[in-house]
Amino acid sequence: MRKTGINYKKRKKIYNILANTILFLFVFFAIAPILWMVATSLMTQNEIVTGKYTVPSHFENYIEMWQNINFFQYFKNSVIICASTTAVALIIATLAGYAVARYKFPGSNLFGATVLATQMVPGIMFLLPLYLMFIKIQETLGIRLINTYPGIIIVYSAFFIPFSIWILRGFFASIPVELEEAAIIDGCSRIGAFVRVVLPLARVGIIATGIYIFLMAWDELLFAWALTTSTDVATIPVGIRLYVGNYQNRYDLLMAAGCVTTLPVLIIFFGLQKHFITGMTAGAVKG
Amino acid sequence: MQHRKRRKKYKPELIKKEGLFTKIKKNKLAYLLITPAIIGMIFIHLVPIVSGILMSFLKLNQFTLKQFLKAPFIGLDNYKAVLFDPTSTIRSGFLDALRNTAIFGVICSVSVICISLLLAILLNRNFKLRGLARTLLMTPWVVPSFVVGMLWGFMWQNDGIINRVLVDILHILPKKPFWLTGPMVLVAIIIPTIWRQVPFVMLMFLAGLQQIPDEYYEAAKIDGANAWQRFRHVTLPMLRSVLSIQILNGIINYVYSFNIVAMMFGHGAGFPGKYGDLLMTNINRNSFQIWQFGTGAAATVIVMLCVMLLVAVWYKVFQDDLVVKDN
Repeated sequence: MRKTGINYKKRKKIYNILANTILFLFVFFAIAPILWMVATSLMTQNEIVTGKYTVPSHFENYIEMWQNINFFQYFKNSVIICASTTAVALIIATLAGYAVARYKFPGSNLFGATVLATQMVPGIMFLLPLYLMFIKIQETLGIRLINTYPGIIIVYSAFFIPFSIWILRGFFASIPVELEEAAIIDGCSRIGAFVRVVLPLARVGIIATGIYIFLMAWDELLFAWALTTSTDVATIPVGIRLYVGNYQNRYDLLMAAGCVTTLPVLIIFFGLQKHFITGMTAGAVKG
Repeated sequence: MQHRKRRKKYKPELIKKEGLFTKIKKNKLAYLLITPAIIGMIFIHLVPIVSGILMSFLKLNQFTLKQFLKAPFIGLDNYKAVLFDPTSTIRSGFLDALRNTAIFGVICSVSVICISLLLAILLNRNFKLRGLARTLLMTPWVVPSFVVGMLWGFMWQNDGIINRVLVDILHILPKKPFWLTGPMVLVAIIIPTIWRQVPFVMLMFLAGLQQIPDEYYEAAKIDGANAWQRFRHVTLPMLRSVLSIQILNGIINYVYSFNIVAMMFGHGAGFPGKYGDLLMTNINRNSFQIWQFGTGAAATVIVMLCVMLLVAVWYKVFQDDLVVKDN
């Protein structure tokens, strides 16, 4: 009844205006802090302290931040560690995720449950023993794992594998088995069918998982603080703290470094946003 | 779900024992494929967890650190120090952290879910700039959490932008409050956490909303349901599986919350104070600053048991809403 008539249309219009207002209020809250970070990164230290803001245009911060501390080294370390972690974890998780989705083998349920259970354990539970284990390994076997790339890459990869298996499992399960069977009948081997048929179909899911692993690794600081302390392997969250603290208080440079740190993940995320959103939501809705 | 399946599967295996071997043989490739994952999980998950639990029974501090698992065994003393010994400083810090984390977790979970659901519903309409709005709403989630902690820590400062806007420009508050010390700390850590978590949960709700067929709403409208009734009887039930997963995510995320808080206070070196210390920052500080690894491990085990209990409760409540589509 209400559907026809001017009253309904009017209400609809009011609702839409109200909805848009609320929505864009939230958009403002979402981006205002980020805009403030960009703005302060273009101010002088003096402007920040006194609060006498002018038009932010002090682009020199973006040059000085690389000279003030060896930020490039930290940035490079983060890129190397996160990219390697993503590659290693993604390959291992793809194989395992496929196995869990396709085969009902003795122990497959146990494996699935273990994968989920690892998510309930806090990072610090691993960190304390791993830290001491790595010291012990170095003493007895002479293999250095603390403050080395392989050490942190191994830890990160293993850390992100269970969750990745869980997301990928959903994708592989959604690909019809018949396609593989058809490929096998046409003369493909099982592995050939996996590489030629399944992988291309699961591409979106694999890319989404890869983005997720990279974002998580880029974001990780608990392990980084303990396992990468020397400048040659330390990641950004370890290094970025040097701008503010005991020796100096350079919030302008800190914010510039914050922008530089956010930029790569922002580009990756928005460049591949379509894949990520279809990927993550498909996996999430499937459970 | 899992129980039912297991019962079905085990019966034939018990009757035909050799069947298991042929089954394992038949699935050789599957075992080969999960081997790397299993090796990783044994060395980086299983071994550390087991030794972590062992560590909680050892007197492991800066003097005995090098002995690792050969440190003196002291039974439940670490647990006593964390939970029962009224003179222990670790206990009072831990209880503060437990209280703060509980408040923090409840407020964050409820607000994140409400705000995300509202935004998802508002986004799930046809309007100009919809793509732009969604993209902009997503950005906080992309900012690394340590940058979030740093940025908000900077903004909450006494002469920071938030106080300047609230006091000097809008005159909402009479004088500048201290956000980073005293009881307001909890507010200062809750808001950035919500700010960063909302986009992701919103995205999940949006995906859930898009799965609801329009016909359901049409049918409800024909039956005379108003907007609230449509939300209550169509939208919410259809979102239950997304909701349940997000509640689980919330429990784990907020109890184990670390990055933002740690980065906000002295960039890992500071102390959020007794009103803002969370479980993870508390354990991390006790372990890596005063080298009390034994009590740290005990506290971690206690927290982990609490989370498992919460997850068990969660499972009991939402059991029926989990749509697990297995092939």
